[in-house]
Amino acid sequence: MNAEYLMRRVFYSLLAFMVSVTLTFVLLHLMPGDYLHSILPYLAEKNPDAARMFREQFGLNRSISEQYFLYMANVIRGNWGYSFLYGQPVLAIIGEKLRWTLVILFPSTVLSIIIGMAVGAYSGWKNGSKTDLSVLNFMIFVGAVPSYWWAMLFILIFGFHLNLFPLGGYVSIDALENGVCIFDVLRHAALPIAALTISSVPGTYYLMRNSTLQTTGEEYVLTARSKGLTEMEVLRHHALKNAMLPMVTVIALELAQMITGSVFVETIFSWPGLGLLTFEALRVRDLPLLQGIFLIDTLMVILANIAADFSYPLIDPRVKVGENV
Amino acid sequence: MSRKSAFSVGLLVLGAYILAAILSSFITPYSPTGLVGRPLDDPSEAHLLGTNDLGQDIFSRLLYGTRATLIIGLLGALLSVSVSTFVGLVSAYYGGGIDEVITRSVDVMMTIPTFPLLLVLTIFFAPSIFVISGLMGVLGGTQGIRIIRSQVLSLVEANFVYGAKAIGAGDLRIMTRHILPNVLPLATVKFVFAAQRYMLMGVGLGFLGLGDPSVVDWGQMISRAYYNGGFALGLWWWLIPPGIAVTLLSVALALLGYGLEEEIDPRLKRSAAI
Repeated sequence: MNAEYLMRRVFYSLLAFMVSVTLTFVLLHLMPGDYLHSILPYLAEKNPDAARMFREQFGLNRSISEQYFLYMANVIRGNWGYSFLYGQPVLAIIGEKLRWTLVILFPSTVLSIIIGMAVGAYSGWKNGSKTDLSVLNFMIFVGAVPSYWWAMLFILIFGFHLNLFPLGGYVSIDALENGVCIFDVLRHAALPIAALTISSVPGTYYLMRNSTLQTTGEEYVLTARSKGLTEMEVLRHHALKNAMLPMVTVIALELAQMITGSVFVETIFSWPGLGLLTFEALRVRDLPLLQGIFLIDTLMVILANIAADFSYPLIDPRVKVGENV
Repeated sequence: MSRKSAFSVGLLVLGAYILAAILSSFITPYSPTGLVGRPLDDPSEAHLLGTNDLGQDIFSRLLYGTRATLIIGLLGALLSVSVSTFVGLVSAYYGGGIDEVITRSVDVMMTIPTFPLLLVLTIFFAPSIFVISGLMGVLGGTQGIRIIRSQVLSLVEANFVYGAKAIGAGDLRIMTRHILPNVLPLATVKFVFAAQRYMLMGVGLGFLGLGDPSVVDWGQMISRAYYNGGFALGLWWWLIPPGIAVTLLSVALALLGYGLEEEIDPRLKRSAAI
């Protein structure tokens, strides 16, 4: 691997992270009303001393530039401030919520990749056939339905009318006595995972279909056919491997979309992850918490991109990092 | 469905929505915000879809809601496509330092997740449909810059551009008269897909409680029905219609974009029956 290329990637990632820190800082601090005003509206008039102490404790009385550099230094040191809403370190809250988000985000990403790729490859391979067209039309429809509507339909049908799954939350009430049971959590996670998966499958499907379509015209496919291999063998051993290559970068990009989807899905299912936390933080204007969430979102996307960049040459030996990439 | 019929169906449904948005005050006698009946009335002849918990007519709210959703989607898309076309065009045409700066900035911007940023910005500027569509346009515009830029890059080297330069045409003239018309088909397809995405996002913001409080929109309708009893009491006529309305419009725009794609990429025409 090329050291210069690696350095450049890391530098740009760092820059992107810095920009997002600056951006969120500036925006969040320009927001109307400070925290004191929103939790104790009349404190400043009734008890100026208490208000002053409060502002000092949270650093709200310092100049903006001072707050900015302080924040930068703290972010790098891993001290992401204290949440106004929870009164706990932001990183600790995010760490706990991130786990819950990953509980639904990870399976739905894997599922949507597998389903999207399998159906996409088949559809692209059978390009123009009746099956391909009906699958394509179906996927256009599925992709056009917003994630929040899938979530709500799932609750309505499977939770409310069929009573197969719980309506929301992450454990049943008997967890108070018996402790959290993994199967109980999975039962609660099933619908959110299904909603997230179904809303991200069409994206993977389109790209895989296009990618497979392109390989059908390649000469190695022609060679494989002329060797007398069956269609299935050609697809599995020759076309598929090459069609899967561009998917690596796409999957990384899809993460940002999954984060968006999880805000809606988690809010609707009251799933205690980052999405629901975003919603709560927005409602009470919890500045440090919001900054933390944005930073972690950005970090996730950056890491996914870097991982994609570096896994590419591992998958495709023809590509060496640093050469024409 | 073939691309041609997809295009016609999409256009037809979109047209119906636009008509509903324009004519909503003629179709329904009730004001969407007026308290015109008993709360939580079942569907009847007077109130086609019943009334909500405040006694507002759900059918007229549904009709008027078309306006906000269409404005957000179309305006946001128009802005974002204009931004990406303009910046992409300038970047690719002039090249050099300007191109470098723009490309690098886009690289950096692309890694920042737009939706969380949009949430904060919406709170910051106070939610109004014009602010929301403006923000979506500017934030979403960065995504399209690359695509337009690469299209223009191949055009800049075209013979007709060299020809225009040779007879002494100015930069502005070349960009607007010679390059822009060749980028427009691509921009149109981007516009339709962007409109679909922003419309869904606008309704989503309404659902999250970040909608414009002064207008009737489907997101707020869904949210109200979901949290104020429409869901728990099983009043499907309250919860389902706005959801169906969003989905149908979104499907129509998807079909329209899918049908248009063929026009810009003739290779798709050849690929069998599609």
